[in-house]
Amino acid sequence: METGKISASQLGCMMYPVVIATGIVIIPSITAKYAGQDMWLSPILASLMGILVIVVAIKLHKLYPGQTIMEYSVSIIGKVPGKLLGFIYLYFYLLMNAGGTRIYADFVTGAFFSETPLFVILATIMLVSSFAVRGGIEVVGRSAEMVVPVYALVLTILCLLLIPDLNPKNILPIMPDGLMPSIKGAYTPQSWFAEFFVIAFLLPYVKDVQKAGKWGMISWIFVVMGFMATNLSLLFLFGGELTDRFNYPLLDAVRYISIAEFLQHLESLVMAIWVAGTFIKLAVVHYALVIGTAQWLNLSNYKPLVFPLGFLTVLVSIWGISSEMEAANYSGTIFPSFSIVMQTCIPLILLGIGILRKRNNSG
Amino acid sequence: MTKGYLHSSRKILLILLTWSSLFVLSGCWDRVEINDLAIVLAVGIDKIEDDQIELTVQLAIPSQMGGGKQQGSGSGGQGNKPTITKKASGTTIAEAASILQQRVPRRIFWGHNEVIVFGKELAGSGIREYVDFFAHHPEPRLRSFIFVSEEKASTVLEVIPNIEQSSSQFARELARFQIGLKVTLKDLLKNISGESRAVALPRLEYEFDNLNEKKGGLNINGTAVFKGDKIEGYLSDKLTRGLLWVRNEVHLATVSFVPENEERYMAFKLLRSNTQLHPEIKDGKWKMTISITTEDDVIENQTNMVLTDPKVVAELEKQLAGEIDERIELTLKKVQTEMQADVLGFAKAFAQKYPDEWDQVKGNWEEKFTEVEIEVTSKAYIRRLGMSTKPQGIPEKELNEE
Repeated sequence: METGKISASQLGCMMYPVVIATGIVIIPSITAKYAGQDMWLSPILASLMGILVIVVAIKLHKLYPGQTIMEYSVSIIGKVPGKLLGFIYLYFYLLMNAGGTRIYADFVTGAFFSETPLFVILATIMLVSSFAVRGGIEVVGRSAEMVVPVYALVLTILCLLLIPDLNPKNILPIMPDGLMPSIKGAYTPQSWFAEFFVIAFLLPYVKDVQKAGKWGMISWIFVVMGFMATNLSLLFLFGGELTDRFNYPLLDAVRYISIAEFLQHLESLVMAIWVAGTFIKLAVVHYALVIGTAQWLNLSNYKPLVFPLGFLTVLVSIWGISSEMEAANYSGTIFPSFSIVMQTCIPLILLGIGILRKRNNSG
Repeated sequence: MTKGYLHSSRKILLILLTWSSLFVLSGCWDRVEINDLAIVLAVGIDKIEDDQIELTVQLAIPSQMGGGKQQGSGSGGQGNKPTITKKASGTTIAEAASILQQRVPRRIFWGHNEVIVFGKELAGSGIREYVDFFAHHPEPRLRSFIFVSEEKASTVLEVIPNIEQSSSQFARELARFQIGLKVTLKDLLKNISGESRAVALPRLEYEFDNLNEKKGGLNINGTAVFKGDKIEGYLSDKLTRGLLWVRNEVHLATVSFVPENEERYMAFKLLRSNTQLHPEIKDGKWKMTISITTEDDVIENQTNMVLTDPKVVAELEKQLAGEIDERIELTLKKVQTEMQADVLGFAKAFAQKYPDEWDQVKGNWEEKFTEVEIEVTSKAYIRRLGMSTKPQGIPEKELNEE
């Protein structure tokens, strides 16, 4: 089905935008709402979910080498339940990608292109991503390899340029109400970190799969650093309370940059990394969805599915979500719970059953 | 042959298709050419009736701006001022802006707005409702500087400055000096809903050189102190300096005073200064220690003291610190007992250090604030004497060399 191969480092590059691309723009506001000035702590707590999910996905792949979750779920829990579970996974990733596309488009229309129809913005990014997916996993991997270093660099530069306006005292008091607020604040970001589970669809196509764990961790570290840098910058600039009041605090922060009256109005950079990052994110998740669907239907080729499923994603993101508020509500409350079930609990159960089965077979 | 022909025709088709996508790339609903924009440089908001406000915007006339001054170039004289002001009224800023749009042939663009001025009347009745627009609309920036006008905000914008291109630029540059307060929209948003529920904004005055042509200048004169979002009173220029010291925002400052046993003044120029607030709660008593460290240069010496002796300088340092203390205490008295508005940042300092105790007084901080005991300890260092060691113009033997 897929003849291309990616390297483990490309896998790492692909996963970075999956988590961070939509995350840095909408997560800080959600985190600040619950955690206040402890919002810097939440990404650290949430990131533990990332490690767990990476480990589970890699363990599962070790039990069933060369198989994606669509295939080994059938091997683990039997044909009918396995296929049923596979369908639920496809449904989940379709919804997740539709949600991601919608977040992207709402930001673009809300902040910049207020008159451009939503459909155009949704459709154009989906079209580009679909072209990449149709080109195969190598194309997606290479684009990620190209985009991600620039992405991380621009994000770092933006945070550095904010330094003159930062007031580190905003971090005080540290944890006045204990750990609970930051745990609440971590509830939404954990679902973003759990998106690392997408590697369960990609691991069979990694050349040097023994290095996948290492590159997964490197990618994870950079994601944590990215979240920390943005959350700390926002906290030091606005404080917890004001961050919560903004829809896209990172954009407001970058607009605040003014170095020597000269280096200002840098929001186009936010837009640039936003589009580039979302492109990779959508392409990776869409690839997972397409390859999963093809395996679920036992097709010999996944390419015919790329555009229809892309179109379906766009439709779901228009019809499934009526407004920006609903999208924010969805990603703040429903999606995290959905994600815990789909990306954490079920994989853990699968891993448990899988280990027992292997032991019984060998015993 | 045929195969090769097909191949090249496909190639041509491909090239044509690729080129045709260029047309698509340029097409975008939100495409706006720069010459279709009316760029807002400053906004003034005045209250006119109960819930009616008057919105004044200062728009740039691009052809008159450009690099350098136009003096001598072309026609010169009046008529080609680089900005124009337009007014409209409405219940909301958005409504007024859309009415305004009917009178401006270009799309009003807020992205370069750098100054927001609130009129005196509006400041008296509450500014909160009118701040929101600038945080909601996607174009304005949080870095705009905020002022309160001495009278009507519209008059400030109508001033055609004698120096600088527009009154917006004039006000902005003044704010940047930090002789008076410098408050950006972000600071305002943060403070208006922050712990202290009190805001201090710089007060903008205007003076006309020529009333008919509306030529003149602006100046930042003192501070308007808000309780909640309504104005409570004004701090004079002198008291504003004290406020700046406490808030650690002093940037440019000269302190002049008469040293002990002398008749004439001596002036010091501030190099850098650092203020730290140390809150303390002991046995239910709230205390704030303000410690200030400044470094100064001597910039003017009217006395006949010779300053080369370190002992003399050490004595002067003590007096300088005492002078700064005194100024700050004047401000503290006014702000703490008369206005009872915490624009000093005490609330935040307490909340950061004593979150639990803070939770208890949060509701009636205004009352508690008046009870806080304040101690000011400043330390001054005189680093250099400038270009002269001895006072100039005094014969050698009359000098006071101890």
